[in-house]
Amino acid sequence: MYSLASQPRAGARGASRFWRRPLWAPLNDPEAWNRLVRIVNPAWSFTEPRARVIRLVDEAPGVRSIWLKPNGRFGRFSPGQHLMLELEIDGVRQARCFSLSHAPRADRLLRLTIKRKDDGPVSSAAHALKRGQVVRLGRAQGTFAPRDPAAPLLLLAAGSGITPMLSLLHGMAAAGASRDVVLLHGIRSPADAIGTLELQELAARWPRLRVHVQASAVEGRLDPAGIAGLVPDWRERETLLCGPDGFMRQVEAMYAEAGCGALLQSESFGRRAAPVDPDAAAHAVSHGSPEQVFTALAGQSLLDAAEAAGLKPRFGCRRGICRTCTCRKRSGTVTNLLTGLASGPGEELIQLCISSPRSALELAL
Amino acid sequence: MSSKTCLEGETLAAFEAEIEALRREQYADIGARDARHIRRVRGIVQGTAIGGRGLLMFGVGPLSWIAGVLSLATAKILENMEIGHNVMHGQYDWMNDPGFDSRTYDWDIACTGDNWRQSHNIDHHDHTNVVGKDDDFGYGMLRMSEQQKWTPSCLLQPFSYLVLALNFEWGVAVQNLKLGRFFKGRMKMPEFRERMRPFLRKAGRQLFKDYVLFPALAFWQWPRVLLGNLAANLIRNVWTNAIIFCGHFTEEVKTYTRREVAHETRGQWYLRQIQGSSNLEGGRWFHLMTGHLSHQIEHHLFPDLPAPRYVEIAPRVREICARYGIHYNTGGFWKQYAGVLARLVRHAFPTRRGAAMGAA
Repeated sequence: MYSLASQPRAGARGASRFWRRPLWAPLNDPEAWNRLVRIVNPAWSFTEPRARVIRLVDEAPGVRSIWLKPNGRFGRFSPGQHLMLELEIDGVRQARCFSLSHAPRADRLLRLTIKRKDDGPVSSAAHALKRGQVVRLGRAQGTFAPRDPAAPLLLLAAGSGITPMLSLLHGMAAAGASRDVVLLHGIRSPADAIGTLELQELAARWPRLRVHVQASAVEGRLDPAGIAGLVPDWRERETLLCGPDGFMRQVEAMYAEAGCGALLQSESFGRRAAPVDPDAAAHAVSHGSPEQVFTALAGQSLLDAAEAAGLKPRFGCRRGICRTCTCRKRSGTVTNLLTGLASGPGEELIQLCISSPRSALELAL
Repeated sequence: MSSKTCLEGETLAAFEAEIEALRREQYADIGARDARHIRRVRGIVQGTAIGGRGLLMFGVGPLSWIAGVLSLATAKILENMEIGHNVMHGQYDWMNDPGFDSRTYDWDIACTGDNWRQSHNIDHHDHTNVVGKDDDFGYGMLRMSEQQKWTPSCLLQPFSYLVLALNFEWGVAVQNLKLGRFFKGRMKMPEFRERMRPFLRKAGRQLFKDYVLFPALAFWQWPRVLLGNLAANLIRNVWTNAIIFCGHFTEEVKTYTRREVAHETRGQWYLRQIQGSSNLEGGRWFHLMTGHLSHQIEHHLFPDLPAPRYVEIAPRVREICARYGIHYNTGGFWKQYAGVLARLVRHAFPTRRGAAMGAA
């Protein structure tokens, strides 16, 4: 199993496969066992990463850090990664991705720093969590981290985009705090600063770390010209970028223009698809047997369209991360809303939440 | 026997609008309360299953055997009726919980989930009581209406009903295999084999679990466990059969021909669902033990509405029916079940449309 450092022996694997055979039901039903151990401790599970809320810390207006103690199923993570936080909201399991905002710690605690969004049910519910409550987690995932272990680094963050940067900085500090790193953090007003204290502490014992926090209300918005002014050697630095959509697009354009797009990595799960143009072309989507049809607009996600038609496909993060809504497309082409790329015309697996029709479609929902 | 109510024109439209309004109101209100209910039932199922199997395996004496059988039968009945049937209707799909996903749920009964989703959700719920299209109408072996052809073998149907009731889970399991079509040579061997494979796999697992695995785990107590499991399965079979037959075959339930339902509007479909179903009256636990099929009328109107809500909306459906002069078929269990048995016996003999009307 994943929690073991080494590969299990072939004999153990065979035994586990034998035990999982449907013949032994209901004795081998992990969910049934999970429900039993949950009576003793709601955070226990044989299969599911779960965590208990240990501490809640208000970082800034509308931004709260949630410290979690995960069970043994959570496994390991590396700085910069994100995870799915699943909460139950009025009976519905809903999950969203959040960056871990701290590096792995000796006490195994995880920290999520979450900005409350009025249109985000999960972020609102996360803010309503109480100490002692138990939440479901996904495994940590993502590859947002410097590729070169020693090269000079530029971290560009705006708003709550600081969260993976904090995780990365803590990780690098634990690994020796010797690298040349510049962190630029754009915020609205000085009150919105996140993690000021810990950044000061890091900078105090890390001479080559430079932190610049820019409040747009005081010094103006952090924009490409400002970045270039603050970090004249930005073209030579590997760059990690995370923040609101508009900010990320600006910086991406800046790097693309300078021809150094290869230096830039973005963390983009905060990105939502642009609003759908109501006059966009409508395509028929057929599914099921006997066949049923609903329509979806170009630019609209198939998940939204299916739900608008009264269907209830399974979904998770709704932004192309978790693959819960993956379904088989039998025919037709779709646009991947994250990449803007078109799919092939034939049978393949697509994610409903980030696929939009380019032609009539046939799905196996 | 009262004749079928036919609403027309504006009355039909107004009736349809009222039912639709009720549907919208209920679906908009679904939430944490429904999720709590189904989880609690799953807890009861697991508790009674563990308790029942524990008593059968480790208990001593006849009293613990009886308690074990009743506990296990409760678990099986609740799992089949309140969880399995309702979850596979998609009543809890909105929870986004893989444990209550209508597409993957499989229940503790011989019938495979996939077969059920076809034969029940489509054939029965859409074509309710349309003789010849709704396979649940008589299960292809009972003559429950004068519209079905009489043959001398129908004389045996009180006896064959008894056999069906005791083995109901197997009756339901083979229903979608369409054995009749195969034996009449209207189904090719490869298709038949294709249909048989999932059935045999599921049937094997069920038999293995109740008659090999759990008895073996009890060592020398194995006869106790084997007989207890058999008894629990029989209780479940007889109970589910009685409840389900009360839902569609009581005396006053209407049947339809294919011609009558061609070009049906949504409103007429609702009307057929009401007139083709019948309710049972009882207390809260009775409703739960029937999987809320005691509210067959509401269930047929809104098959994917979380079932405990049927109890809440029943007075309103009944009130709507009263205003439109639609017969709302309801009664106590024994009265309704007596009606089913009477219908079963009556149609064992040659009956014609006119004769049936005269007899009522």
